[in-house]
Amino acid sequence: MDLDLSPEQRAVRATFAQLFQRSATAERVRAAEPAGWDADLWREYVDVGALEIGVDEQAGGAGGGLVELALIAEEAGRTLAPIPCAAAGVATRLLAAADASEALTQVLSGERLVSFAPSTAPLPGQLLVDGAITDAVIALQDDRLALVERPDRREVRANVGASPLQCWSGTAAHTVLATGGKARDLHAHAVDELRVLRAASLVGLAHRAIELGAAYAKVRTAFGDPIGRYQAVAHPLADALVACDGAQLLCWKAAWALDAGLDRGSALAGMAFVHAAETAQSAAGHSLHVHGGYGFMEETDIQLYYRRAKAWTVALADPARELLRVADELLAG
Amino acid sequence: MDFSEPAHWQEIRRQAEDFVAQHVTPDVIAEERRTGDGVNRAVMRELGRRGWIAPAWPVEEGGAGLDPFEAGVLTATLRAGGVPTTGHGTTMLPANAIRALGSAELKRRVLPGVAAGETLICLGYTEPAGGSDVFACATTARRDDGRWVINGQKMFTTFAHRADYCFLLTRSVPESRGGQGLTVFLVPLPSAGVEIRPVRTIGFERTNLVFWTDVHVGDEWVVGEPHEGLAVMRAALQAEHSVAPASRTEQVWLQTRAIAAGLTDDAGRSLTDDPLVRIRLARMALDAEVASLLTMRAAVLEAAGAVAGPGAALWGPESYVRAAINALDIIGSRATLDWPDADAPLEGALAAHYRAAVATTIYGGSSEVLRSLIAEQRLGLPRSRPKQ
Repeated sequence: MDLDLSPEQRAVRATFAQLFQRSATAERVRAAEPAGWDADLWREYVDVGALEIGVDEQAGGAGGGLVELALIAEEAGRTLAPIPCAAAGVATRLLAAADASEALTQVLSGERLVSFAPSTAPLPGQLLVDGAITDAVIALQDDRLALVERPDRREVRANVGASPLQCWSGTAAHTVLATGGKARDLHAHAVDELRVLRAASLVGLAHRAIELGAAYAKVRTAFGDPIGRYQAVAHPLADALVACDGAQLLCWKAAWALDAGLDRGSALAGMAFVHAAETAQSAAGHSLHVHGGYGFMEETDIQLYYRRAKAWTVALADPARELLRVADELLAG
Repeated sequence: MDFSEPAHWQEIRRQAEDFVAQHVTPDVIAEERRTGDGVNRAVMRELGRRGWIAPAWPVEEGGAGLDPFEAGVLTATLRAGGVPTTGHGTTMLPANAIRALGSAELKRRVLPGVAAGETLICLGYTEPAGGSDVFACATTARRDDGRWVINGQKMFTTFAHRADYCFLLTRSVPESRGGQGLTVFLVPLPSAGVEIRPVRTIGFERTNLVFWTDVHVGDEWVVGEPHEGLAVMRAALQAEHSVAPASRTEQVWLQTRAIAAGLTDDAGRSLTDDPLVRIRLARMALDAEVASLLTMRAAVLEAAGAVAGPGAALWGPESYVRAAINALDIIGSRATLDWPDADAPLEGALAAHYRAAVATTIYGGSSEVLRSLIAEQRLGLPRSRPKQ
């Protein structure tokens, strides 16, 4: 048993913490909102080899696992880095798992951006989370796992999370990566990985939201005292912090379990997602409230966190439905 | 990173289960349910023979030389198997403080008996007017003719009527306040002037109200230095935070699942087929997973000499309460039947959880106090209680 990060994992985390603190400033996060992402930051992210980290060495990667990607996603979440870390990370690993070496090479070089669709609904009707920016998406359609090209380019649509949401029109050119049971297994595993990475990004978001709330509560005074002295202000922050500790550990355990191929991995991934989503919602919600009316203003950073806490969650799943799926896993047999 | 447990933990668990099978007889369980003392001297001596009262102490001190994780696996298995643990488990808090700060003479006199399962020490901190505010201590110790004379009242002095000593917090400097001017004694029980009155609780646990009237104690029973009781209390309270009961949330989730699977609703459908039941069972499992991860992480930090903080001690009991509430909602009236009703599922386990859980968010640091500590220590927020 070893609940800690290895020196290599610490180095990965430190590297990306620095990268995002330097290049995903609140100013740049705001500037990226109309476009739904920061293409320059994405280039920088790919150039430092972020996508390679989650790919096996024989497939041209650096041989890391989902744990490493979760650490990166958490750091991205802390700064709200406007790039598709989670879905692109999953898609890259999926291309490697499906032996799609040509597509993988293009992705790792940054030539193309490939995302992943967790929903198995017909692709043309889906509001894709990276639909406005991705060149292609991996989707499970009619029992076939396919790499589907974007048919046309459309403007991003204004939305709560400033995400690059977009629907695709009609059918598009596609390459079949796998069929039948293999396609379903690959897709199901990728959805589990997305649950973990989405959870990790929400943990980072929640943690930073708590810090912003606490920092404000120390300097803002009311009735002659810093408001952080009032327990109605302080205690929900303490609860959120403990929940956040738990969500981080759950993410790590789920990532470890999926990397190790354990049966429990899918249930843990679902738990991690639900717990991180709920923690992010309550942490960002309370921290905004701590800011009073200022939290409601565009120029205050906490509003950026509050909006994404919800948007990032529902981009994957309704937490209550996800809890029912966890029950299916736990109560089977 | 590796969340799988070391293979030899299963061996520790097996040994503990063997112990339970041999020593936790129906009579032991019945006696505990009848008395609510949390003490069984015969079982304690058997534990002591194996070094299992103080499992983390070295073998030469009467322990079993286990690391904190192995000790945790052992005690959790023993408790889940029905071993009454309140008495000797609580004894370890002052015993560890004495081991850290007591005189050589005091250690020699007391600690071997503790490890052997012969000696019980109850806690005399809480007073009728001071629970979470431990240092509101009003019980006095004054010098008189080379001895100490103690007067006051202590509340929730669990198993005092079965104990060999009381680890007693007193105010030894008149007019002092807060953490200053305190002295901690290890008072032998029974002593003249100590009157113990029983207090019954809704968790079937018997506790006590203890009156101290002109109780005479010699210098040899002072723990640490006179008037420096704060340091002694810090050592003992720190231990109390870190051994906050490993959450029973998982136990409630597994028991509720088992009971629900055997019950049907009015339409004859199994309860575990109902989405409203399933979603709450999944919630319990999630809460239990978080509780166990936070507890494990706290143990890792403490094993490395770091201070884990009270996060696990907050989440564990709070999630236990949530699970017990949900368990009764799901199972219904049947779950409220108390032991020994023949219709009570799992011998009234859920009713017992609902009764007991609420106290776990109070003793060992109430949730409100723990939240304030977390806000101050982790977030740097200003102290919410007046400085003393």
